[in-house]
Amino acid sequence: MFLEVRGLTKRFSGLVAVADVSFTVAHGEIIGIIGPNGSGKTTLLSMMAGLLAPTSGSVLWKGREIHRLRPDIIAGLGVVKTFQSPQVFAELSVFENVRVASHLRLKRELGLRRGLEVLGAARDVEHRLAERVGEVLALCNLGGATQQLAGNLSYGEEKMLGIAMALMCEPELLLLDEPASGLGRDEVRNLEAVLDKVHAAGTTLCVVDHKIGFLRGLADRVIALNYGQKIAEGPPEDVLNVPAVIEAYLGAGHARA
Amino acid sequence: MTGQALLWGTLYALPIFVRSDFLLTIFIFTFIYGILAVTFDLIFGFTGQLTMFHPAVFGVSAYMTHLLAVHSGLPFWAATLPSAAAAVVLAVVVGSICFKFRLKTFYFAVVTLAFAEMIRLGVMNWNSVTNGTLGLVVAGKPTIYWPGSGVVPIKGPIAWYYLTLVCLSVTALLCGLVLRSWMGRCFAAIRLNEDLARTLGVNVYRYKLLSFAIGNALASFAGGLYGYYTGYIDPGYLGINQSMEVLAMVLLGGQGTLTGPIVGSLVLTGLPHAIDLRAELRAVLYGAILIFTILVMPRGIVGTLNAWRSRRVS
Repeated sequence: MFLEVRGLTKRFSGLVAVADVSFTVAHGEIIGIIGPNGSGKTTLLSMMAGLLAPTSGSVLWKGREIHRLRPDIIAGLGVVKTFQSPQVFAELSVFENVRVASHLRLKRELGLRRGLEVLGAARDVEHRLAERVGEVLALCNLGGATQQLAGNLSYGEEKMLGIAMALMCEPELLLLDEPASGLGRDEVRNLEAVLDKVHAAGTTLCVVDHKIGFLRGLADRVIALNYGQKIAEGPPEDVLNVPAVIEAYLGAGHARA
Repeated sequence: MTGQALLWGTLYALPIFVRSDFLLTIFIFTFIYGILAVTFDLIFGFTGQLTMFHPAVFGVSAYMTHLLAVHSGLPFWAATLPSAAAAVVLAVVVGSICFKFRLKTFYFAVVTLAFAEMIRLGVMNWNSVTNGTLGLVVAGKPTIYWPGSGVVPIKGPIAWYYLTLVCLSVTALLCGLVLRSWMGRCFAAIRLNEDLARTLGVNVYRYKLLSFAIGNALASFAGGLYGYYTGYIDPGYLGINQSMEVLAMVLLGGQGTLTGPIVGSLVLTGLPHAIDLRAELRAVLYGAILIFTILVMPRGIVGTLNAWRSRRVS
């Protein structure tokens, strides 16, 4: 099994943000997680990326428990998360932002020998990584903004830069937290095109969104959350017809109608 | 880049034109404090960790270098290496405690300050070794190998000027190499957005510790030099005011730059002597100039110059 979430629960003092959620992700799949605001989507994703410790339950990545590991180790194992509100290194250029994210690749290639790189050894590796940064930026349609300060980008561009940075970590499983929220129509189309390319290149995607429309065309399978509990799972069209899902979004009256 | 070349060129050529012992002395103190300020900026300006531990390393290495030279007969340069090793050990102990508990900004400052104070009190009360508040007289001189005349001691302002300038250059060069590499990128990532750095695979704890250890190890050389230059060591070396002095130098010169701390060190060392007034008026004017500069140039002298230059280019 690629990724398995088993009975994951998170309690914040009195509040149960995620309650006993279990599901699996297969290699090469695009899985969507939907739910109204406050239904525990972000909390679930944060636990999968190691940013939050679960109260109980476990996350298994290729058969290994990862939910007690540090986020940087989980990223090194191939599970990388983006943030809902765009997170960038505002004072660095777009290029430098993604360059920071090339750290894992450098570590993989050079190991402890990278200590010598400080004195100018292994320039060729650094050069290759810089080229790779350019490729990732071109893939994300940020090629025209490489020298801009990340803090000067628009909201949509900052979100795309977040994805570019995550991609530079070369994840096998990319966790995207509401990548489409706050984007204009053209930006959403751009995002879909980028995610298609990323998926075609062999990356498994796990996308959280509260708008069902975005996931309808994208996801193979959708999991619906409400008040921290899994209320439905299946192909997008089926999940949208589950009464509990309609009720969660539109209220009880619509579910009967 | 041209600004840096100009600064270093001027400093290396200066003794050709300036023969005044008084001025050279100011520069020697500038260079020794410059080492402290540059390494402080590596931790504070580049990695974002407001350390107050520099005086501890400065003082401990001043004592250690001298005591090793006296009791084990080591030459000055050989004695600086165990002192630097001691600085690394201290930095790793203090740093790992602070960073494990994720202390940031003022909390990190206060805890490192407390550790520095602990070490200062330890040094002050260890009478049998440090001679307590009375301090120690350092009679030895650093020696260097000079082609033609063999091993010669460093004596006189010109020799000290170049010795301390070379030490400062090497420190700045090493810091520059570290900051230009992937290490510098990780430091910047930690300074700007720790959580993001973490999700991108940067081991935040390890790189904070690395920055802290490199900064303190290089800072230790300033302690050894200072003790040998002034010929006297006392527990005041480890005092809080040293931290404040170095912080002021970095803020005034420009944090997050390599030349800024050196410029700040030059201004703060030279300015009190350059004001030709009665002592009480001098202190007032000195303070006023400091406050004014920081109000007008929040990015420091070098930071403001850089911003001004890039505006003219674009």
